[in-house]
Amino acid sequence: MQHSLKRRNETDSCFFLSRYRHRSSMATLNLSSLQALSSHRLCSSFPQNTPTPSFNFQLKPSINPRPISLKPYVSEKPRARVVALAVKSLGDTEALAVSPENDGPAGELPSGAGVYAVYDTNGDVQFIGLSRNIAASVAAHWKSVPELCGSVKAGVVDEPDRETLTQAWKSWMEEYIKDSGKVPPGNESGNATWVRQAPKRKPDLRLTPGRRMQLTVPLENLIDGLVKENKVVAFIKGPRSAPLCGFSQRVIAILENEGVDYESVNVLDEEYNYELRETLKKYSNWPTFPQIFVDGELVGGCDILTSMYEKGELASLFKK
Amino acid sequence: MSSRGASALLSRASRIRSKLQTALEATVLEVDDVSYQHAGHAAVKGSSDKETHFNVKIVSPKFEGQSLVKRHRLVYDLLAEELQSGLHALSIVAKTLHETNPNK
Repeated sequence: MQHSLKRRNETDSCFFLSRYRHRSSMATLNLSSLQALSSHRLCSSFPQNTPTPSFNFQLKPSINPRPISLKPYVSEKPRARVVALAVKSLGDTEALAVSPENDGPAGELPSGAGVYAVYDTNGDVQFIGLSRNIAASVAAHWKSVPELCGSVKAGVVDEPDRETLTQAWKSWMEEYIKDSGKVPPGNESGNATWVRQAPKRKPDLRLTPGRRMQLTVPLENLIDGLVKENKVVAFIKGPRSAPLCGFSQRVIAILENEGVDYESVNVLDEEYNYELRETLKKYSNWPTFPQIFVDGELVGGCDILTSMYEKGELASLFKK
Repeated sequence: MSSRGASALLSRASRIRSKLQTALEATVLEVDDVSYQHAGHAAVKGSSDKETHFNVKIVSPKFEGQSLVKRHRLVYDLLAEELQSGLHALSIVAKTLHETNPNK
């Protein structure tokens, strides 16, 4: 089986036809119709036709023992063969380094659908996964557990549907289990390290402990400290998870899209940020909201941020 | 500047246009009332005034050498009275003549 996987498609076709030709000598069906039938199957990635009962009956007694066990049902064989050819074996696939200098996987990894195996720096398999976008999945793993991502093997599945992807994943898992006698640590039940986490949303900042507490420093000082201690601060109407005005919404969308690490303050929060609106207008000499501060300085409101975003000026602003 | 009585009779759009044109000597001045787009906006529910949201586009030599923040502040300062009397939001595009027609 492993040897046959290395052959080209043409060779596989000849091999397949050859077996059918050999089998036909023991059957009553004529050669031409048998060739036509097998040819049709080879052209089809997912054979829909099931063999006729008589055909099935004729073929069954002639099955010989093989080094790799296949399912006893004749109709499964073409499907299994097609699926097996969809991805190289784990052992035959070349590993690609996940380099720390690249700050994560770069263009080396395919962005198509398929199966992948993550190796740590000792060369041990940590996790075998399937994905619609291998590069994106590995990038996500790298971001969450970089210490476990040393290199990656990727097997692209050209016609990805759920069944084909699952079969490819199973073949790599079975191969690994067969070779190592164990399941990859990341695939053990209960291990959630490699499961994609829903992105955690930062909580909005609060300027005061609440209305019932007496402020010991002026609100202006709290604002000043806040914008200078945090690189990016957005004062918005409503919480960041559900802004209450379109302009604040647009600002949050831009910051999220830029992937920047930022703090948000809900100026409508009357419990923890009371009197903030009027005080901030005086502090920044800016009469409207949202207001965005970077490195302690007012960048502007929604219009200015949008303008800079459209001109591609935000990346340099946030990197200063 | 117009008297208080006369000012009360003008629409907010007219007042905005008048103030900006007088101070900025704009070569281009577009004042668009987009309040209908924000009808029912939570922050303006209590307001009986219907002219709450405006988009303004201004091309003026007064913006020469000014950063975006300073330009917007200049416009906000000119319209401070409107912002205190019901104008809720203002979208600003502020450019110099050169920026609208680069020499290429």
